Amino acid sequence: MKKNKCLLLLSSAAVLLLLVWAAVEENFLKEWRRIQAEGRGEEGPVAVQLRQVVNPHLGKADRCVSCHVSMGPGEQGVAGAKILVPHRAVVHDPAEYGCTVCHGGQGQATEKADAHGDVPFWPEPMLPKEMSEAGCGTCHVPLDVPGQAQLQAAARAFERLDCYACHRVDGKGGTVRPDQGGMEGPDLSRAGLAGFDRDWYAKHLGKANSAATGPWKTFRPVSESDLAQVALFLRTRMAAPRLVAAKSTFLSAGCLGCHKVSGVGGDDGPELTLAGFKDPGQVSFEQVPGPRRMKNWMAEHFRAPASVVVGSQMPPAPLAENEIEQLTLYTLSLRRKELRDIYLPKDRIRAVKFGEREFASDGATLYGAFCAGCHGQDGQGRRLPGLVSFPSLANPDFLAIAPDSLLTRTVEQGRPGRRMPGWLKADGLRPEEIQAVVAHVRSLGGGTLPPSDPRPARWVAGDAALGRRIFESACAGCHGPQGKGGEGPALNNQVLQESATDSFLVETISRGRRGTAMAGFEEPSPVRPALSRADIESVVAYLRSLPGGKS
Amino acid sequence: MTTTPKTPRSRLDPDPVPRRDWLGLASLWTTGAALLFGLAGMLKLPKAAVLASPSKKFRVALPETLPAGEPFLPPGRAVAIFKDAEGAYAISTICTHLGCVVKPHAEGFECPCHGSRFAASGEVAKGPAPRPLPWLKVSLSGGVVTVDEGTEVPHGTKVAS
Amino acid sequence: MTPVASGPEKKDALQEFKNSLKAAPRHVLETAFRTGPPTTDRTRSTFVFGNVFLHLHAVRTHLWSLRWSATMGLGIMSVSAFLIALVTGVMLMFYYKPFPDAAYLSMKDIHFVVPTGRLIRNLHRWSANVMVIAVILHMARTFYTAAYRRPREYNWLIGIGLLVVTLGLSFTGYLLPWDQLAYWAITIGANIAQSPREVTDALNLTEHFDPGGLQRLLLLGSDQVGEEALIRFYLLHVMILPLAIAALMAVHFWRIRKDGGLVRPADADEQLARQRRDETYPVFTEAPVKTYHLAAIVRGRTANVGRGPENTVPSMPHLFYAELGVLMVTLLVCLALSLLSDAPLKELANPNVPENPAKAPWYFLGLQEMVSFSAFIGGIGVPVIVLLGLALIPYLDRETEGTGKWFGGPGGWPLVRLSLAFGLAAPILLEAFAIRFGWLREWFPHIPQLIVTAINPATILTAVYALYSLWSIRRYQSVRAGALALFTCFLCGFVVLTVIGTYFRGPNWEFYWSPADWPKH
Repeated sequence: MKKNKCLLLLSSAAVLLLLVWAAVEENFLKEWRRIQAEGRGEEGPVAVQLRQVVNPHLGKADRCVSCHVSMGPGEQGVAGAKILVPHRAVVHDPAEYGCTVCHGGQGQATEKADAHGDVPFWPEPMLPKEMSEAGCGTCHVPLDVPGQAQLQAAARAFERLDCYACHRVDGKGGTVRPDQGGMEGPDLSRAGLAGFDRDWYAKHLGKANSAATGPWKTFRPVSESDLAQVALFLRTRMAAPRLVAAKSTFLSAGCLGCHKVSGVGGDDGPELTLAGFKDPGQVSFEQVPGPRRMKNWMAEHFRAPASVVVGSQMPPAPLAENEIEQLTLYTLSLRRKELRDIYLPKDRIRAVKFGEREFASDGATLYGAFCAGCHGQDGQGRRLPGLVSFPSLANPDFLAIAPDSLLTRTVEQGRPGRRMPGWLKADGLRPEEIQAVVAHVRSLGGGTLPPSDPRPARWVAGDAALGRRIFESACAGCHGPQGKGGEGPALNNQVLQESATDSFLVETISRGRRGTAMAGFEEPSPVRPALSRADIESVVAYLRSLPGGKS
Repeated sequence: MTTTPKTPRSRLDPDPVPRRDWLGLASLWTTGAALLFGLAGMLKLPKAAVLASPSKKFRVALPETLPAGEPFLPPGRAVAIFKDAEGAYAISTICTHLGCVVKPHAEGFECPCHGSRFAASGEVAKGPAPRPLPWLKVSLSGGVVTVDEGTEVPHGTKVAS
Repeated sequence: MTPVASGPEKKDALQEFKNSLKAAPRHVLETAFRTGPPTTDRTRSTFVFGNVFLHLHAVRTHLWSLRWSATMGLGIMSVSAFLIALVTGVMLMFYYKPFPDAAYLSMKDIHFVVPTGRLIRNLHRWSANVMVIAVILHMARTFYTAAYRRPREYNWLIGIGLLVVTLGLSFTGYLLPWDQLAYWAITIGANIAQSPREVTDALNLTEHFDPGGLQRLLLLGSDQVGEEALIRFYLLHVMILPLAIAALMAVHFWRIRKDGGLVRPADADEQLARQRRDETYPVFTEAPVKTYHLAAIVRGRTANVGRGPENTVPSMPHLFYAELGVLMVTLLVCLALSLLSDAPLKELANPNVPENPAKAPWYFLGLQEMVSFSAFIGGIGVPVIVLLGLALIPYLDRETEGTGKWFGGPGGWPLVRLSLAFGLAAPILLEAFAIRFGWLREWFPHIPQLIVTAINPATILTAVYALYSLWSIRRYQSVRAGALALFTCFLCGFVVLTVIGTYFRGPNWEFYWSPADWPKH
């Protein structure tokens, strides 16, 4: 009896104690209470309470504003600690859109680690501050973005033409002020989204011609090519310059040769359309230096793919550190979410509903996006450990004899059985895009077309048996027995056989390709005599007799 | 308790339990305190700390051709917005009686639930409504009106752009 | 108002009204508690049987029942945990939304913004776990003190029903957060329900006779775990199973009284006499003031039949201190655990990304371990055999020796000790063998499923335990000895398999010495 009373007394006292502790913890010790207690609004201290931004259309109820008080609706006047200051002015009012739609993180949470998403079981941690533009990718698709070189050239043209004197773009320029007798043109940071006047040049010229004095007098005529550069620059302005630059780097690194984004690209690597949602809890950080952040994982993955992801086939990107950072930013931005119609931005509508390309469709950009990964940025080819080397396209010996039809057929149909895929497919390139790529490849070699060839595609009539003997002694070492391929390309490949003319083969054997292992057999070398024209033709005849194989 | 009749002692009712059982009383009171404290904490639970309703502030574009004195009813919001020569103003269309949504008509507003009528300015004309319809804070920029349903302003406050 | 002639009667009535109004609170109290303060044995008795909540108890309790070693308070602990879960569960229903994704968000709300929500949810989760443990231990106590014997056989059956419903409540609650853990555990659970197909498929019967598919369909309401499954689990969790457990509990408690109170050894009174205290008072030494004509039609025993009443004490307050004490201890344990450790909530359920490993609640991990060899045997076969075996115990053991004593009966503690060793060793060796060398399918990839279903570690373990138990019956010439052996073995098997499933199984249900060795994918 006494034992039971003691038990009851002790246990209930302990329960009371724990309950009091829990009550104190919940009602006095919460981080957000401490922060709000410091806040001072226009009318004195702010009410200490949980706050949130609710947006039913975006499915958001973000409690971030419980600590970041001034970013909440109707709280603009709160002063105090740094955490309380208002958001910088942006188009998307955080009081309407909430926070996590752009920044990621866990909006439901009210404690820092949870809210910022640095906890287990929250797959969508906050985007790093310097990569916050990746958040734009939730709704927006940067359109018309060209490769790195073109984008940089366009930006330089815009600067060279001194457009920044009057116009403000991405926080830069626009300094000729009315109060100083000058004027300020509209801010063009969002010209790509909001659109801009196609006739701006004529109007500018008109004003310049009619103005007597003042800044308009300084406007000078602009060349056709510069006009195109300015238009390109403006089309890519979406108030997210880093994201656009990052995308242009992505489009120059040949990633689409293996990966798909929004259903366009190669099949060798995993699709990247939602790569920005990669869950840090589902990847290994063992080989990744620095804190467990997706940013670090992705950067290290670009530097050394196979060490971060066991069994990865991806070659390391031959990129500078800042470019790796750009690729990381772009990959993080691949986080498109389903949106209600009223929140669909124009660019997304253009891309999704009207099927516009998500990249600029000029030859250089397409080459950079789809081909540069294997054939090199300048068409110099690439040699990767463990893989058959990728041929150089810019080789003058090749371009001097390869007709456009050969290039087009090759891009369209690829080399079945080899790494080169055919790009004329629903999730590949369109015919006019392939033409643009071919034209770009042609331009890599200076743009000269091979002399037109009056002979038909098949004119060789040599001795295939003799050709076979010559082939086995001189060619099979690299091209494999029966031309099945080895260190050198396979020659029995059906698409090659169909698209290469006899003239092309004869010329290739005769002249060889400088800079590659392929020697010109017209000339003698220390290890073998020269081949006669007839010998070469018989080799071609033998090649034509090979059974077309896939590998 | 005074009303308890004193039962005569018998062998059926031997010695009463000592009334001053300190240990027992202390344990019972502590138990009671703990359970009551827990109950009080638990009763806090149903009072929601945050409301799931979206922001009271909303933006809406007024039609260019809105005639003066004609209400514009933004969808999904219980507000009538007017624009005349003096500026724009917004009147809440939630009846001050019991919260039905009032309908605008030629002379003002009428409530379908209990027959309250309001003048065009929101003053009560008839019926059980205790207060006039509140005017809400508006701000204008271009053709876009921002209405704050959470803030009342004195009747007659019109905002010119 | 017209003035009214003020007569003495009028004035009195008004005065009386005023007096009554003043006395109203006191009268309310008096009508609620008619007997006054429970200070004497008589008023204490009336306090108990005059109270709808308390009269479930006998007015007097045997001293033996109040010894801590008699019950260890495990039954009351189970009820207490259930009450905590009930109250906190009702509170959670204020915010929980039983719809996919919204359910998960409401869990986040409960965790982060609902006042006291996090503590309430933690309490709910921990009290559910404490309840499962308490119920299992309560069953073990009942078994080891041979309390299931006549006249308590039926209450043992009710107890098994309560165990099943308790596990059912825990399992159905597991899906409700709609996180990855929940989703995949329920997917597995639903497929275990479907596992009779393992046999019907092998016999080519599924087309005509498909109990597995029916079970799964009834559980999920669809062909996958989705909103239909969630609403069904919710219904089971908050309505059907709580009603079932309430009904079973009512019968269980009522039966305790009707079966003569808690079990005690035949010589309990003699034992107590040796340590007699002054706390007890002789009662019923003169003719009772009430007639007991009900007793004439009540069969079976009441608490006092054949017993000297001297060893009983008034339930109020002796028993209630003990019960209240156990309630508060249970609350303390749940509260401490809740403050120490938050209930888990993983990522939002994603039907496209399986959780690996997808683990059921811990008390089902033993089943999951057996399921890894054969879904039907592990998930349905062995559990049904175990439940049947448990249910049959009181009807097979008709002996009387050792009732009410810990490890009572032939064999006693030495047999239990031996059974512990055997019961622990057998599954450890069997598992070690299967983990090291694989099982039939690894050796003969084309072996028919029926053979795997029939011969696997789960069936072998069951058979080994059964043989060991038969040996015990023969050795001690006692069914009770066999029951002691078998029950101990199954308890050990449960513990071993649960520990292996909980701590030593990782992704793809591979064996790992520690979760630290799990590969990251």
